[in-house]
Amino acid sequence: MTKLDLIEKYGQEDEPYVCASCGNCTLVCPVFHELKWESYGPRGKLHVVKSIMEGESEFGKDFAHKIFLCNLCEHCTSVCTTGISLDRFWEVARAEVRERGLLPTPVKFVLKSVKERGDIMWMGSADRLLWMEDVEELVKGRVLKKAKVAYFLGCNVSLKSQLHDVAKSMVKIMDYAGIDYTLLGDKEVCCGAPLGWAGNLKDINEMAEKNLEIIRELGVETVVFSCPSCILTWSEYSESLKEDHNIELLTASQFISRLIRENRLSFEEQPMLTATFHDPCISARVLKSTEEPREIMDEIPGLYHVEMNPSRQSTRCCGSHGLLDIVDPVLASKIAENRLRDATVTPATQLVTECPRCILAFDLAKFTTNYEMKVQDITQLVAESLLPKEEGGDKDR
Amino acid sequence: MIYSKDVTSLPDIAHQIVSPRFDIITQPVDVLSLQNLIWYALDNGIPIVPRGHGTSGWGGAIPTRGGFCVALSGMTEILVFNEFESAVTVEAGITWGTLLTFLDRLGYTLPVYPSSATAATVGGFIASGGLGIGSTRYGDILTQVHGIEAILPNGKIVRLGRLLLDSENDTLKEKVEEGNAWLSKQLSSAGLGTPEKKTKLFTGTYGTLCIITKVTLKTIPKLQLIPFACSFNSITDLVKAATRILSEIKPHFLRFLADNYTSKLVALNEYENECGKYVLSGALLDTIYQNEDDIEIIKTVTAEENGEVLDDRRAWFYWDERLYTLRIKRHGPSIVPAEMLAPLDMVPQILEKTKSELRNSKVAIEGMLSNDGTTSVMVWILDDERKKFSFTIGWYRSFQIASLAERFGGLPYAVGLWNGRHAKKFYGDKSYKDLKVMKKKLDPTDIMNPVKVFGGRVTIGRESMVAGFLIGFIGAFMAGLMIPIGLDWLSQFMDVSLLQSIYIPPLPILGLLAGLVGLLVTRFMTFNQALAMGIPLLRILSKILRR
Repeated sequence: MTKLDLIEKYGQEDEPYVCASCGNCTLVCPVFHELKWESYGPRGKLHVVKSIMEGESEFGKDFAHKIFLCNLCEHCTSVCTTGISLDRFWEVARAEVRERGLLPTPVKFVLKSVKERGDIMWMGSADRLLWMEDVEELVKGRVLKKAKVAYFLGCNVSLKSQLHDVAKSMVKIMDYAGIDYTLLGDKEVCCGAPLGWAGNLKDINEMAEKNLEIIRELGVETVVFSCPSCILTWSEYSESLKEDHNIELLTASQFISRLIRENRLSFEEQPMLTATFHDPCISARVLKSTEEPREIMDEIPGLYHVEMNPSRQSTRCCGSHGLLDIVDPVLASKIAENRLRDATVTPATQLVTECPRCILAFDLAKFTTNYEMKVQDITQLVAESLLPKEEGGDKDR
Repeated sequence: MIYSKDVTSLPDIAHQIVSPRFDIITQPVDVLSLQNLIWYALDNGIPIVPRGHGTSGWGGAIPTRGGFCVALSGMTEILVFNEFESAVTVEAGITWGTLLTFLDRLGYTLPVYPSSATAATVGGFIASGGLGIGSTRYGDILTQVHGIEAILPNGKIVRLGRLLLDSENDTLKEKVEEGNAWLSKQLSSAGLGTPEKKTKLFTGTYGTLCIITKVTLKTIPKLQLIPFACSFNSITDLVKAATRILSEIKPHFLRFLADNYTSKLVALNEYENECGKYVLSGALLDTIYQNEDDIEIIKTVTAEENGEVLDDRRAWFYWDERLYTLRIKRHGPSIVPAEMLAPLDMVPQILEKTKSELRNSKVAIEGMLSNDGTTSVMVWILDDERKKFSFTIGWYRSFQIASLAERFGGLPYAVGLWNGRHAKKFYGDKSYKDLKVMKKKLDPTDIMNPVKVFGGRVTIGRESMVAGFLIGFIGAFMAGLMIPIGLDWLSQFMDVSLLQSIYIPPLPILGLLAGLVGLLVTRFMTFNQALAMGIPLLRILSKILRR
C-alpha cells in the first residue's frame, strides 16, 4: 500500500473506490476525446490512483504529467453516476504531484509568477492599469472609490491586450446604467484559481483574502467578474466568504441581465446578426448561469440567437482551462478547434461567450482552422448594442 | 484493469476461478475488422469477450479465461431512422443516452432504456436483456428489438429479425446472405425456425452465441411526460397503491425506493416526508388529456392507501435521479449486487426477509415494476473492498439473495457469469435446451464469452490447486489415523513393487494419493461446481466470524 498523504488529508481516499467504472466521465472528457487512451480519461486516471494506493503502480513522472492533461472543466463531475466530485479530486491529485516535486515546468512558472508578481503572466501590478487607455474619462476616480459595486477583472482581462476591450465594455455598460462602481486597479491580485490548478491548495485563501480585504474596506456588496473561475475559487476557498454572506459574486451576464430587468439598458436594432452562445464550463456547470446570457441576447433587437449542440450544462470545454493551455498547448488547441466546429455548423456568424480564456482559445482556434467567426464576450456584445444616449437610450432612468 | 471488471469489484478469491484480466483489449471500428479479429481468435483458440461499457454487475463482460476483450465502443453510428416504421437502427456501441438525445430532437423517444442509459451501450443491454425505464408499460427491452445484425463465433455475419438498413449502401449484403443461409441450415437441423424469427435466441444471451453489431429498435413519439412521486410509511401500502395504479392506468415508469434507500440519499436529508420513508416514483408518457385523468387517479389511489403525493419539484427530482441509482455506492464505497425478479405482491415479504437475513450488513433496496406483474428488487449490499477479508466472505450474500428469490417464486434478475447455475430456470427448460444445442453448433470450441450462461471449466489459480492438494492430503491422513481402514492392500503393493527397498509408511502415501486427487478435482471442476463448494464455505466462515 502506498500512502498518498494529501489525498487522505483532503478526504479523497474513498473516491477511487466509489467509482463504478461506468465510463460516463470518459465519454465526455475532451482530453480522452483527443488522445483516445483510457489512461488519459478520468476513469483511467482514477484507477491508476487506486492501483498506486494499493501498491500496484508507482506515482511517477509520467502519471504526474497525465494528471495535468485535464481541463478541470467539471464535465466529468457533472455526469458522474456515483456523484464523485472529480474536479476536486484532480486538484488534490495535483497537490500530491507538487508534494512529490513532479510538477511540469510551465506549472512551476505559474506558481512562481502568482507568488512573486500576483498574476499568472509575470507582469506586475502597474500593468493592470494599461487597459484603461481610451476610457480614462470613464474610469476617472473609480479606482479604490467607495461603492456598492466592484468590478473584478481578473488576470487575463486586465493583462492581455486582446481582452482589454472586455473591461472597457464593462465600464461602458456600468456608466450607461448609472452604476456607482469601484475598481481595484493596481491593487487587484490574482484570485487564486491558478494556485489550485497548480496544486497549491494551501495559499488560495490568502490570495482571495488579499482582494476581499480591499473589497470590504470599500464597502462593496456586489462583485462583478469577467471570469467565472474567479467566482468559483472565492466561493470554494475563501474562508471569510463562507461566513460573510453580505457580498454577492456575479458573473457579467448575471449582472447585465439584472440591469436589463431594472430597465437600465436600452439596445439599438442590430443589422440581422446571427449569434450563438458558448457556455463556459464553470459558469454553466458550477454557477448554473446558463439562462442569463440567453436572456440578454434575446433582448437585443435584430440579433437572432441559435443554439450550439451541445450547450448549457452539457457544453464542451474550450480546452484552455485548468492550465492545459500551458502544459500542452497543442492538445488545448485541438480541443478548442473541436468546440469551434460545433459553432461553425450553426448558421451563426458570431460566437459569444463570457470567459476570457474561452475567447483566447477560440481566437487561436480560428487561426489554426481558418474558420471565419467573430468571437466576443457577452460584455462586448452588449456594449456595442447599446442605444446611444443622445437617441434616448437613457430615457427610462 | 478497467476493462476486466464491471460495476462491482471482485474479491481476490474470485480470481481463483476466473482470470483477473484480459490479455488484449481491442476496439473494432467496423464489422469487417471485427470479423477478422474473430477469425484470428478462432484460428488461435483465443477466448473473445464482447463488452459494451461494463455497466452491469453480473460478470457478463469480465474475463474468465483471459483472451480478447472486444470493446464495441468504437461502433457508435446512428444508421437509419424511419418515422413511418417507428424504428431506428444503430451500431451496437452507441450509448442509450446519445441515442435518446438524437431522438429527443426529432420528437421521439425509446419505449425502454436502461437506468444506466448515460453510459450503457445499446448492444450491451440487448445482449443481457432486462427491465429499464419504460418497462412498466412496455416490458422487457428484448420485446422492443425489431432485428439485429451479429457475427457468429465462426465469423459469419448474420441478420436476424427485421433489420432496417439503407439497402443501396449495404456493403455487407453478400456476406450476410451467405451467413444467413448457413445459419438457416444449422437452425433447421436443430429443429428451430428461420433466422428472421429467431432474434430472441441471440439476444439476452450475454454474447455467448454471437457479437451483436447492429440493432433496430422500436421508437415512440415523445408525448407529454409527467413525473410523479408519492411517499408511504409502509411497503405494504406502497405495494397496494402500485398494484391499483397498474391495474387502472398505464404508467410509463414505476419505481420504488425502500426506507433503507431513502435514508441514505443525502439529497433527501432535508425532506422528512421522504427520508426514511418508502417512495413510489414514476412517470406518465401520454397525451395531455390522458395524463390529466391519470394523475387524478394516482392522487386518489395514493390518498386512499395512506400515502402522500409529493410536489412537482420532488417528482422531477426522482425522475432525474432514475439514471443515477449508483449514487448509493458512496455509502460502501464498494457494492455487492444482488437482484431478483419477483411477483409484486411478494415484495413486502421479500423486503422483510432480506432485511432480516442481511441485518448485519449495510443495505439499500429499490425496485422497478414491469408490465407483467413482476418487479425487479435490487439489493445494494454496501461494503468496503479495502477490508479484504470481510469483503471476501461477505460475497456469499449476493448468492443468498438469488436463493431467496427462488423461495418466493422469483428468479435471479440476470444470468451473466455469477447466476449461470440458475440459467435453466431463467430461460425455461425448452429455451435453455435450444440455446445449448446452438452453442454446440455455433461455438464448438467455446471461444465466445466462455463460462458465461452455460458454465464451463474454471481457470484455477495456484492457491486453489495447493488448497485442493492439502485438503485431499490432510483429509486422507486424518481419516487413516482415526478410522481403522484396512491398508493391507497398500502394504502388499509396496512389498511387490520396486519400492520395497525403501520403507515408506502407507499413510503418507495414501495422503499423497488423495492430495493428487484433490488437485485434479480443483483442476477439472466446472465454474458452477466451484461456486457450489465455495458459497457454503464462505457462509460458514462468515457465521463463525460473526459469533
